[in-house]
Amino acid sequence: MTGKRRDPRAERQARLIAGGERKRFALGAVPQPAGRPRRDPRSLRRAATVPGGVRPRIDWHGGARMAARPGPDARPQSQPEIRITADPAFLVLAVADHPGGALSEHDRETIGAARSLADAGGGAVAVLTSGTVEGLAEAGADRVLSVPAGHIGDYDPEARTAAVLAAIDLLKPRHVLFPESAEGGADLARRVAALSGERLFGGVASLSADAASRRMRGGAMEMAAAPPRLMSIAENAFAAHDGVRHEARALDAPAFAPVRRIGTVTPLAIEAGTLSLADADFILSGGNGVTDWAAFAELGRVLGATLGGSRVVCDEGHLPRDRQVGASGSLVTARCYLAFGIAGAPQHLQGITEVRHVVAINTDLHAEMIKRADLAIIADAQAVMPALVAHAKERRDA
Amino acid sequence: MPSVAVLLSVGRHPASGRARRAPLDARALEMAFSLPNAAVHAIHAGNPDEPALRDYLGMGMERLTVLSIPRDGDPVPALTAHLEQLSPDMVLCGSRAEGGEDSGMVPYLIAHALGYAMVADIAAVSASAATATLTQALPRGRRRLIETGLPVVATVNTAAPAPRQSSFGRARRGVIDILAADAPPDTLADQCEIRPWRPRPKRMRLAAAASAADRLKAMTETRSGEGAVMIQPSPEEAARAIYAYLVEKRIIGDGS
Repeated sequence: MTGKRRDPRAERQARLIAGGERKRFALGAVPQPAGRPRRDPRSLRRAATVPGGVRPRIDWHGGARMAARPGPDARPQSQPEIRITADPAFLVLAVADHPGGALSEHDRETIGAARSLADAGGGAVAVLTSGTVEGLAEAGADRVLSVPAGHIGDYDPEARTAAVLAAIDLLKPRHVLFPESAEGGADLARRVAALSGERLFGGVASLSADAASRRMRGGAMEMAAAPPRLMSIAENAFAAHDGVRHEARALDAPAFAPVRRIGTVTPLAIEAGTLSLADADFILSGGNGVTDWAAFAELGRVLGATLGGSRVVCDEGHLPRDRQVGASGSLVTARCYLAFGIAGAPQHLQGITEVRHVVAINTDLHAEMIKRADLAIIADAQAVMPALVAHAKERRDA
Repeated sequence: MPSVAVLLSVGRHPASGRARRAPLDARALEMAFSLPNAAVHAIHAGNPDEPALRDYLGMGMERLTVLSIPRDGDPVPALTAHLEQLSPDMVLCGSRAEGGEDSGMVPYLIAHALGYAMVADIAAVSASAATATLTQALPRGRRRLIETGLPVVATVNTAAPAPRQSSFGRARRGVIDILAADAPPDTLADQCEIRPWRPRPKRMRLAAAASAADRLKAMTETRSGEGAVMIQPSPEEAARAIYAYLVEKRIIGDGS
């Protein structure tokens, strides 16, 4: 007998892993203690078991399973609340339209595109606004240049151009991004390009650190190049920044002196009656429950709403075909939809998916339109329309 | 009697790809015709033998000036030099061409070079001896009235009145005046990769939800409203409720 006799039982016992309710032996390689926590199906199953009852019942969709693994909300807590870029390698300047003093969705997408350019190379996003604008930190702005309110008028593209040129002079950004919007962004981008003498890459539809591309030749072709300095960002092409707040540190806005050639500017009242349905902001719509079309038209005039209708009333000729709302008519994007006597066929509801506020007046409590509505009134349209006309007139005269 | 220069370009039919009159430039020409007593000068920079130019002549002009420049030339210097000589009170054109780079820069560069005022996206125009009144079209049917001194460069939006049809006889009879012009070659296109447009998948706004089941539910289910229901109110009560709701959501202004 030369060697010592092996004791397999003792060897096995030495490899017992402490903890856990089942005995577990590390028979292969020695387990890494800092690894991913092992999943224990038995304890998961026990946690998912609904207590009480004669037969064992297991609810996999309950809170038990969610609690057993780290949820998606556990991740942001480990990161800092606000991301700060103290010493950026370069700056990307985004110029916001902010119509009415609030960031539009297109502005957010533009800042999101600037964010992707900045994040690719350790840069920072600076946003130029006029007056104070809320929500820039959430939109992904590291720096904010805010021209004091009053220096730039409501429609003042020449002053805005001078402000952008002054900001470019001050910050020396690697890229300047504008929203390609009819609210003024597209106009501003071209003014800046003409004054600075640089080429504008307008309506950029895809963008990375190496390449930007835009449509040309009436949309049939696209041209791609390394991202130039001046770009305007097409609508609905980029995702807005979603996630960590950024610093949005205020910088001093530079002084500027515009050359003014445009004279006085007056906003005009909207002529709701002549608008197309796709453009309209407030639509008064009639369906099969409306028989008094004179009162309907009068109501549209008094409220200043654009008239629309369901397929049935357009088929019967009460309204022209271009006034039809729904899958086979116009898909509307109005802010408010006031529906009289519309039951709400699926094809009609498809047409109003983008509408924010829906008011429905119908005699049937169980109509689909009543379920969709934010304010539903179970009444006859013929009685409510004249009452609403009278009430609106009374309130205006008061 | 204001003098109006209209800048015309050759369009491209979106389906067939054939040359046509550019719809926005045709609207600009129609707008120039709507000005009373205006002397309309139509100008094109490009190939004088392009048959689509006759469509503009068919709208009712006797003459069309073509600055003959090569295909890859930059039209801005030639147009600027010609307009400087012409010194019109107003320059009209479509807001975007369709067939070249489509950058929409030409009116801005001309306005900058000549020192004219520049107004974008107009839907209507009227002019007096020293001022022009332009109606600017904005999204959602909003309009803005802009009064500005002459001369002015204005681009025309799709909200402007539709152009008249082109008449075949007038198109045949019209005269094209050809002027030689210098155009430096445009080098941007050489630096870019140009390829056919590939339609991209539409970006969807994903709802932020914990699980895939919740996201699917948010994407597919019909949106339901806040669900305030009034059952058989009197017409006056209903009218008050509707009016208060519209005022609360700032759809209409409260009269009182």
